[in-house]
Amino acid sequence: MSAGGRRGDAWQHRFPGFSVVGQSQHWDEATRKVVLARLEPPKPITSLPEEVRPAGVALVAQLVAVDADFAFALLSSIDARLAANETDGWHYDDMPIDHDAWKRSLAGLDEDATRSTGHPFAELTEDEQHEMLECLRTSSAHSWHGMPPARIWNLWTRYVCTAYYAHPSAWDEMGFPGPAYPRGYKNRGVDAREPFEVADRQPHMDPTVSSAP
Amino acid sequence: MSSLRAVRERNESAWLIPSDQRRVNAALRDSMRHYDESEEVDLVVVGCGAGGSTLMQRMARHGWKIVGFDAGPFWDPEHDWVSDEAGSHTLYWTDPRTIGGADPVPLGSNNSGRGVGGSMVHYAGYTPRFHPSDFATATNDGVGADWPFDYDALESYYELIEQELPVAGQDWPWGRPHSYPQTAHPVGGNGELFQRGAAALGIETRVGPVAISNGRFGHRPHCIYRGFCLQGCKVNAKASPLITHLPDALAHGVEIRPDTMVTRIGFDERTGRATGVHFIRESEGVERFQPARMVAVAGYSIETPRLLLNSATDRRFPDGMLNDHDLVGRYLMVQGAPQTAARFDAEVRMYKAPPPEVSSEAFYETDPTKPYKRGFSIQTVSPLPITWAEHVSAQGDWGRDLREKMSDYVHWATLGALCELLPQPDNRVTLSEEKDRFGLPVAHFAYTQCENDKQLIEAAGTAMTHILHAAGGTDAITFQRYAHLVGGARMGRTAEDGVVDGDCRAFAVPNLMITDGSVLPTQGSANPALTIMAVAARAADRLAARS
Ligand SMILES: Cc1cc2nc3c(=O)[nH]c(=O)nc-3n(C[C@H](O)[C@H](O)[C@H](O)COP(=O)(O)OP(=O)(O)OC[C@H]3O[C@@H](n4cnc5c(N)ncnc54)[C@H](O)[C@@H]3O)c2cc1C
Ligand code: SF4
Repeated sequence: MSAGGRRGDAWQHRFPGFSVVGQSQHWDEATRKVVLARLEPPKPITSLPEEVRPAGVALVAQLVAVDADFAFALLSSIDARLAANETDGWHYDDMPIDHDAWKRSLAGLDEDATRSTGHPFAELTEDEQHEMLECLRTSSAHSWHGMPPARIWNLWTRYVCTAYYAHPSAWDEMGFPGPAYPRGYKNRGVDAREPFEVADRQPHMDPTVSSAP
Repeated sequence: MSSLRAVRERNESAWLIPSDQRRVNAALRDSMRHYDESEEVDLVVVGCGAGGSTLMQRMARHGWKIVGFDAGPFWDPEHDWVSDEAGSHTLYWTDPRTIGGADPVPLGSNNSGRGVGGSMVHYAGYTPRFHPSDFATATNDGVGADWPFDYDALESYYELIEQELPVAGQDWPWGRPHSYPQTAHPVGGNGELFQRGAAALGIETRVGPVAISNGRFGHRPHCIYRGFCLQGCKVNAKASPLITHLPDALAHGVEIRPDTMVTRIGFDERTGRATGVHFIRESEGVERFQPARMVAVAGYSIETPRLLLNSATDRRFPDGMLNDHDLVGRYLMVQGAPQTAARFDAEVRMYKAPPPEVSSEAFYETDPTKPYKRGFSIQTVSPLPITWAEHVSAQGDWGRDLREKMSDYVHWATLGALCELLPQPDNRVTLSEEKDRFGLPVAHFAYTQCENDKQLIEAAGTAMTHILHAAGGTDAITFQRYAHLVGGARMGRTAEDGVVDGDCRAFAVPNLMITDGSVLPTQGSANPALTIMAVAARAADRLAARS
């Protein structure tokens, strides 16, 4: 499985030849088991109800710009957390427990999309989906389907970023070598690299500037 | 070194763990003493973290029969911990809790550990002392509270614990100047840029102080600079009670009962004394009772008040144990911990070092030219990818923008501040309607900042931005967060003013103690673990002297 995103995006190729998984023989056994399991085919979704899954896949695909297969795999790992009640250890007192907040917010996306276009969220065009989500992110409303929109956005991005940035292909994209035990690092300091690290070939590509349209 | 011999003579922990890649002394754990539930032990301790473990190790050395309970596992670093962010969630307290108030404080991975060793298993490892001024902020600054004792009363305990962890760092010029048992670690890219920027502005920095061994210490190896300190140190280089105090406690007859939740403190309405603790083993699910002559609660600032509130009794304590003056759960503090990051064309690769490297306490004390009281400290922090994604997405980026900005990770340096937010009565733990899987009401934590708090957080973000710009960084972004918890069952001079006295003894029940972060009346802008251990070590000395 590979990270999606549109081909030719320069930022996907800043660390040519860098492969985190290619170094897995240097990891400890416990870590190897946990990280490599993320490359296995995704487990079926069991906890989120069937009717909200398409919206879930579309939402995840939007939030971290991945294709539908990858989004399904990420949603499946989120679903596994929700099934095991493996939360971050807290929820806002004006929000339901995480599992219910996910279920209700995905249903909310479908409801809104259907009301305005006659189609569920997953069947909107990518641009329409993007616009709907951006509206929600910037909304100052107190309540969206009974929950504060800012809290919903926080819940989604926390779970989705955790799932995506736990994936070795995400680390490849950012030059981060992942697990580091028992090998550790020997060359530290500004512009110092280990033999297994790859230099950024676009060090001046400051995304805070270049992403402006 | 003769001081090493002195450490070994009073606390042999570092010599009781294996010197090879097996990180646990299996023989010591297998031969651990077991007490019968029909036997009244001398002391039960609820929570095997910073405060609880220190107390156990000290009292075991006085020959006390002790059982320590912890809700989480008795960790084996090699097998249970991973060099991976998402895979480390079992280290955190992830049982449900609810948060509210105008400025709610996320819990779990941010500030609460679970398991033998407590939150220090996944703390960063900074171990600064408090300043003398922290013990009298009410008198000196008209804010916060005064402690029942002063810095001098704690100083020798700071020294003892610093030797036992041990702490590495440069000579310390702030607060009461002092030096550390180990020399400072070399710094990585993030630390280098902090030093560079601060020097350009004339702001003093120092390397350390960190409880990460610089060199071999007993059988503990040197740090390998792999950057996963917050995920538990698989190397045994970073100090936590699991390796600094519990091996010695076990060798002196302490029994640890892991995976066991204490549900209620036993109490005799007739004598007014604690009788022991009720508990549920994860594997059994039924409530049992362990009688004890004395009980110490050390479950940290959320769970300690929760346990006291859940231990209400029909007659003596209808509103929660020790809650005569409505103080239990109140004056809970967190530090405002904004993190500011900036971009450098050079590669910083901030993950390649322990996140705790370099600090400055130049802004720690009240500055009379400023509109706010008290201050903040600045330290390096080095978020790994998942935490970094939280920073970036908090700027409003998502989708392709998020991915693109994340691809720039190796170019960013990050500083974190700790702002001394003031203790306020309404920042508190109460019991929620929601129940946990044992059927116990969970904690609700309400938090709202006061005006002084807001000004400090703002000033800290500005100071960090200036430093990073002076180092040559651009595009600074600040991410608002909180760190650390203290208070919630504070110590005071009188029962109207504190739940426990300066010796950590409850005013209302003679054989009940609280020996964890919840007793701190103020928090300074120092990370709290060293002070929590020093306060517990002092309480142990006072307890032993009385008995
Ligand atoms: C990510 C992170 C980074 C940190 N960084 C630093 C740092 O750099 N420097 C620093 O000084 N501090 C740091 N801290 C804070 C520091 O770890 C804590 O302040 C300190 O460990 C608190 O000590 P304690 O004894 O009060 O509680 P803990 O060490 O948290 O111990 C409490 C123990 O009690 C157990 N427990 C609770 N309730 C029950 C119950 N009812 N029954 C049985 N067991 C129970 C818990 O499982 C836990 O193990 C950090 C914390 C975190 C989470
Ligand atoms: S950087 Fe050092 S102290 Fe931190 S986890 Fe790695 S080996 Fe342990």
